[in-house]
Amino acid sequence: MVDAVLSRTVSPPSSDAVTSIARHTRNLPVWVWLISIVLLPNLLLVGVSFLKVSNGLLVLQAGVTTYLRLWHSASFAELLGRTLGTSFFAACIGLLIAYPMGYYAARVVQRNQALAVVLVVIPLWISLLMRVFAWRMILGQNGILNSFLVSSGFISTPSSAFLYTPFAVLLTYVYIAIPYIFVASFTALEKIPQSLIEASQDSGASSLQTFRHVILPLSLPSVAIGVSLAFLTTVGDYVTPSMVGGLDGTMLGTVIASQFGVANNWPYGAAVAVVLMLGAALVLGLIIAVSRSRGILTGDEGARPRPMGIALTGSQRLLRVAGFLCFCLPYIFLYAPLLVMVLFSLNDSKVQAFPLQGFSLRWYRELWTTPGLLEAVQRSLVVAAFVVTLSTIVGTGFALLIHHSRSRILHGCEFLLAFPIAVPGVVLGITMVLGMQLLSVPQGIPRIVIGQSSFVMPVILLIVLARLRRLDPAILEASLDSGAGPLRSFIYVLLPMIRNVIIGGALLGLTLSVDDVMVTLFLSGTEPTLPIWVWNQMRFGFTPSVNAIFTLVGAVSLILVGFFSRLVEQR
Amino acid sequence: MAVEYPLTEADVSQPILSLNKVNKTYPGGDKPALDRVSISVMPREFFSILGPSGSGKTTILRMIAGFEQPDRGNVVLDGRDVTGVPPFRRDVRTVFQSYALFPHMSVLDNVAYPLKMAGMPKAERIRAANEALDLVSMQDFPARLPHQLSGGQRQRIALARAIVGRPKLLLLDEPLGALDLRLRQQMQHTLTVLQREIGIAFVYVTHDQGEALSMSDRVAVMRDGRIAQLGAPQELYFRPQSEFVAQFVGRSNLLSASIGREGDEYIARIDGLAQPVRGIPARSQGAAKIAVRFESVQLQPLRTQEDCSRGFPGVVEDVLFMGSSLEVAVRCGDLRLIASIASGSGLVRGQDVAVQFDLQTCAVFHG
Repeated sequence: MVDAVLSRTVSPPSSDAVTSIARHTRNLPVWVWLISIVLLPNLLLVGVSFLKVSNGLLVLQAGVTTYLRLWHSASFAELLGRTLGTSFFAACIGLLIAYPMGYYAARVVQRNQALAVVLVVIPLWISLLMRVFAWRMILGQNGILNSFLVSSGFISTPSSAFLYTPFAVLLTYVYIAIPYIFVASFTALEKIPQSLIEASQDSGASSLQTFRHVILPLSLPSVAIGVSLAFLTTVGDYVTPSMVGGLDGTMLGTVIASQFGVANNWPYGAAVAVVLMLGAALVLGLIIAVSRSRGILTGDEGARPRPMGIALTGSQRLLRVAGFLCFCLPYIFLYAPLLVMVLFSLNDSKVQAFPLQGFSLRWYRELWTTPGLLEAVQRSLVVAAFVVTLSTIVGTGFALLIHHSRSRILHGCEFLLAFPIAVPGVVLGITMVLGMQLLSVPQGIPRIVIGQSSFVMPVILLIVLARLRRLDPAILEASLDSGAGPLRSFIYVLLPMIRNVIIGGALLGLTLSVDDVMVTLFLSGTEPTLPIWVWNQMRFGFTPSVNAIFTLVGAVSLILVGFFSRLVEQR
Repeated sequence: MAVEYPLTEADVSQPILSLNKVNKTYPGGDKPALDRVSISVMPREFFSILGPSGSGKTTILRMIAGFEQPDRGNVVLDGRDVTGVPPFRRDVRTVFQSYALFPHMSVLDNVAYPLKMAGMPKAERIRAANEALDLVSMQDFPARLPHQLSGGQRQRIALARAIVGRPKLLLLDEPLGALDLRLRQQMQHTLTVLQREIGIAFVYVTHDQGEALSMSDRVAVMRDGRIAQLGAPQELYFRPQSEFVAQFVGRSNLLSASIGREGDEYIARIDGLAQPVRGIPARSQGAAKIAVRFESVQLQPLRTQEDCSRGFPGVVEDVLFMGSSLEVAVRCGDLRLIASIASGSGLVRGQDVAVQFDLQTCAVFHG
């Protein structure tokens, strides 16, 4: 009371205190989200890793015994090395394939450039489960590769050397990695102004020297982000290893998942998760350190490349042909598995082998009568609707708060809020289980919604924030100057300018939600979403209806993406 | 008949660069970007290419640098035909309009880049790069990155990078376009001094006639892919060969007239003006355009109406103060003229004046 009076007399405008309170309450949702969805679950993870299990019960006996056990276990060290190594190696191979592709698409292709990019990105929009499953069909003992090799006489009996091996995991990881690295390479290479390349040639540098001294260093930081994303996606993946890896291809993700499932040893799983996170962080740190580059493009270095009709010499023409092949062949790699799946979904046979037995829609018809499937689809849609609504509103709101706040602390929050994106999938899944157990969130849909929002919200937040930062600040000032208050300025000026980005973010969130296995599996309990339902089916045995489901899911997501991107373009 | 001359540095009579009847049409373009363009640049010459945007001046530059190939014609550098030789094998450097500094390299690395490409040892090229930075007065921050510099400083670094290897020819593509007026004037002095100091021929592309006239030994005025006129700045200024050049180089009143003859004197009847003008430097009779430079229009304040024997009567419509001069809009009957006169002559709006032309500097274009 006295304080209030004093402060009023000392600081003249009383409205200052009010606005200061308003400012703090305004930021309250950010703190709530940060603490309950990011900090608390991760602290719990670390906390649980120090506990012990005795007779199947968690015992509050803190200690580092679990870590000591891991430290002394040679097989764990091998597993950790294999997990990090396979993901990193896959990202490197992906880089070797995707960088030349991105280079060709960005700097050589002149017409239909957008199409070239969209075609690489499409597999990203198609369920991870489906892509992994397609590889299983190709590599399996009755798979396409085997039936091709046997029928063409390379081997006499189908080989089991393809599926359930570390190689199968690596191959699938490379497949997953390519689109991320391609997009990163393409955007970086496309951004390099033609005038810099001309300046280098003008200075006497040959094409190779220009590439080494100008193009490569300028594209490296962005490419590193693509490599990091690919690495993160695969390092926390337990779907791929358990579907195509077999015993030799087991990765840490599988181990962690089983500790929170059948093995039911949470402290051990948590400790492994903490070690995996640290290991992944170390690899990411190395990637970033290696690719660090100084300086920034200020935007006035020169215009975008313009088409040049320079005649090529003989060796250049040869190089161009090689480039064209490097550009085209990966498309076959990207699409062959998907095509195979579509083909077999229409094949009138229970056996997944060539030759095809004839056209049939029976696998599609069977879907309608499969118990549980329609419920799973319904549940997926309900979950997605909640996740997208929640994440879009919260993500956009937080982005506006952070962008228009002068508080340094709030700017720091951006990275903390985005932290779940950088956590390997399996680890995020278990931290969410721990957090929701503590806050006693009811099983089923509420858990799934919160769990998925933990990584969908930051994606939308980052997208909207990036757009807000590119806006000319004078535009909002012009609106305020014209007499519109903050609310009307937002509705009439700001919102129309960021609407496309919000729609795009929501769309991305939709596919992330519908597709998610990593986090949802731990949270769904007895109420599976579609991917979890399929995942359970596949563990019990194979039915060709899975092909049909995936074909439908793929088709629907493509139609959605096409529809929305058209919508966004028109505005 | 081709005669082989032994070429030496001292051979000043031999052009360092010639374009011979160069043609270029861009794919998809209906009009040629360059139409039979021939120029030659002498050693140590400051040669400017002046023209509005789209006139083909940048295409010429890119062709000399090797970024574009002519459809027909050839490019000869220092006696060697370099048509078809890629940019990195030509001893020509460009100062890009956008500067095109490598954002990930320090100032010193940027400047040393051409020497590094030429395979010069490190110690030597750092010394040479520092010298080049010295020449453009940028020796103080060799470790900075381009984004930490101002526009004027980046300009100087781009210049240093271009001259560091002492090329035979330096190409400058509107290098001062992004600078403010004061910096631009300062850089004009820097450039001319530098050019004399290092003795490299400059080919300078600009749309700013002031820059072209003040710095150049010779200027080629471009229009629609052709050379409209080529000559020394004074020649272009005082003896323009076409309406276009008269309009583009310096500023002129362009008057429609019909030329008649009286004895051995040509008389012009200028549209909108009551009295004829005698002593016009015309070559024949008929319809014509007369270009009268702003500063060739002379104004005398009139005390009385009868005092108009020395010219035509006119009324001051508007006066713009330009610092050292005044720009005065005058109405004479139906004709509106602009005159540039020394400030301090104290003309005001609405004042009656006598208008006279300096006939020696008028140009007549018969059409």
